[in-house]
Amino acid sequence: MEPQHARYPFFAAAREAVRESGVDLAALVADGDPAVDRGRERVERALTEGTVEADDDRGWDARDELLSYPIARILVSLLDSRAAVEKYAEAEAATAYRRFTEDVERDRDDGARRDPARVDRDALLREFDLNGAVRVEEPKPGQVEGTWLWLGVGAYLSYVDPDWGDDWRLVNRELVAGEVRTEREELYRLLREAVEDRVGDGLPFEGVGEELADELEAEISDLRDLLADRSVTADLDVVAPEHFPPCVAKLLGRAQAGDDLDPHERFSLLAFLAGLNLDAEEAVALSGLDPELVADRFAYLRDDSGAQYPPPSCRTLGEYGICENEHNHRSVAPHPLEYYSRSLGEADEVVDWRDRDESDAGGAAA
Amino acid sequence: MNRRTREYLRGRFGDYYRSASVSPPPEANEREWGHIPFTAGDGTTMVRHQSLLDIGEVSEFLARETPRHAYFSAARYDDPANKRMSEKGWRTADLVFDLDADHLPGVDPEETSYGDMLAACKDELLALLDILETDFGFADTDLQVVFSGGRGYHVHVRDDAVADLDSTARREVVDYVRAVDLNYDGLIERRPNERGTTLQKQLRREGGWGRRVHEELVAYAEDLRAMDEDDALAELQELDGVGEKTARTIYGVLERNPDGVKSGNVELGPGASTLVRAIAERVAAEQTAPIDEPVTTDVRRLIRLPGSIHGGSGLVVRPLEHDAVDDFDPLTDAVPDRFRGRDILVDVHDPGSVDVGDDRDKVEEGIVSVPEYVGVFLMARGRAEKARE
Repeated sequence: MEPQHARYPFFAAAREAVRESGVDLAALVADGDPAVDRGRERVERALTEGTVEADDDRGWDARDELLSYPIARILVSLLDSRAAVEKYAEAEAATAYRRFTEDVERDRDDGARRDPARVDRDALLREFDLNGAVRVEEPKPGQVEGTWLWLGVGAYLSYVDPDWGDDWRLVNRELVAGEVRTEREELYRLLREAVEDRVGDGLPFEGVGEELADELEAEISDLRDLLADRSVTADLDVVAPEHFPPCVAKLLGRAQAGDDLDPHERFSLLAFLAGLNLDAEEAVALSGLDPELVADRFAYLRDDSGAQYPPPSCRTLGEYGICENEHNHRSVAPHPLEYYSRSLGEADEVVDWRDRDESDAGGAAA
Repeated sequence: MNRRTREYLRGRFGDYYRSASVSPPPEANEREWGHIPFTAGDGTTMVRHQSLLDIGEVSEFLARETPRHAYFSAARYDDPANKRMSEKGWRTADLVFDLDADHLPGVDPEETSYGDMLAACKDELLALLDILETDFGFADTDLQVVFSGGRGYHVHVRDDAVADLDSTARREVVDYVRAVDLNYDGLIERRPNERGTTLQKQLRREGGWGRRVHEELVAYAEDLRAMDEDDALAELQELDGVGEKTARTIYGVLERNPDGVKSGNVELGPGASTLVRAIAERVAAEQTAPIDEPVTTDVRRLIRLPGSIHGGSGLVVRPLEHDAVDDFDPLTDAVPDRFRGRDILVDVHDPGSVDVGDDRDKVEEGIVSVPEYVGVFLMARGRAEKARE
């Protein structure tokens, strides 16, 4: 195992090194190997902090670091949640981005000594098959060499997300002869996306052995709770009441029928609606609750800065006596927003409640 | 279309296919194939989800089945014959562009003849090809240009660099070609001057729309300098938002520093951004191509097979060499030779002008004798039925 493998465990060579070492991951788990602890920490910190960097100086060695990556992938697969995969891949990418930016910038600094743990630009590009797709621009007067690069348009489009902003849109780029003019820092941003794709690829995977899953049950349970409390900011902008989880749909039906909801029930319903980015007026139109009360609660649930009080998880709703864990759904969707997101994902066609005819509006599934 | 007409067209399409050689696209065995057969009624039921295993060799299939329309997928799949799109196993797809004469800006399909619309469409095709070659750098050998047989042109790009792009990425390509969301203000940026000593306002001219705007601006400046001052000032004031005073400032800078604009410098005084914007809008209007977005962004779409006959016109879906585009006249050059050289009788119920062939004439209502390709055109378009010879 090379030191670079620990720093970049998703590199093809690192994964190959794990394979070649013949390490039995199930045995590591059974033995309570430190790599398993570090793997759990990887996922935990990904879900809570958006990084996979170790928290303390417990002094994980290179082997623990490297092996913690496949362990983390097993854990994320067992979580079986799209939100978990996304958060985990983002965190691995964020950490890698910080590391390779530092490595490559250091490498540009002539005085720096070669450190085998670090990656240089060419190796990094080769890792993602981009070595042929990047060309350094001849510096113009007043420019530092390497400020501008030309990146193949196919590679550029593979990794760019148009939602990053106008400046990233291809229409606003200098494109000629199949190459996009790109600043060095922008290339790093695109590589971060490449890492995220690489890490997310194949997750969650099927076929984690039952025994291994049982061994990891305690870890999974803890991570699932963490996820439930953190994964509530998913981009759910579609409002389709017939896909609400049963307990929320029931609350909504009662509110629409003019039933009195107790404070917990009212809070749970409104927090869920706020979680869908409804504004107070829309929440009133949908639920039929008193406008003043809704405005008041919404002010508390969501302030102007966009900070938001997360809707309670299924477990908390269970404590309120609202969620009955129908069909044991908490094992796959421990949060009502995640339940809703899955239900939307499985639907053929979804029409936003706000885009429906008057006569259909408010037709929540009871 | 009555039975006699249907049988006639089917028979003649068959004669065409037996004598024509239709080259299948590369990796034909990884593609989904589809066709619309000649059936009773308006028959637009497409038979799809077929693979080469189902249809056999393409030329033989066409000769045997003589479909009314024939298609293949831009995509390559693991299992092209699978009925469920999600289980086909998408691998890659050609990048496809469609220009349709029905959707050209400033062309009213009700008022414009088929021939004129196709001519306007060809201008757009040339603009598209310029962008694909100059900006995207696609090699001539990776581009297949095709007359669609109907109302426009298709361009198939087969370049590995873009084959695995998803729909979102392809939309970026569409928006680029159409200059959708082009940030006009962003075309100018403060960059180091030629000596690298100070920052100055420059056009982002290294590529993209900025490069195109820069070329146009240089040409515009040269035109102005070739005029006498009064004409140049008048010309400048034609631009939206440029009054006499601003025109004088711009003209003065261009006179004093004719090379400045060439190097991208647009420190032209207070009217600079107005001037650049006006030129940019002109460039966007002239050099974009109004491609049909869904055709490019749908990575599972079926496209008309080059070399087949378009069942709605009787014209060949004709692949074109790049340098032949200029001289190509679809209404003559896409007429199958097989349908030339003899006259047939047709019963015309929708008389009027006929746009195909060498002498584009009018046809009268009732039973008339016309060159066969004119008869096929009229029958395929539903304007006539076959009359007994």
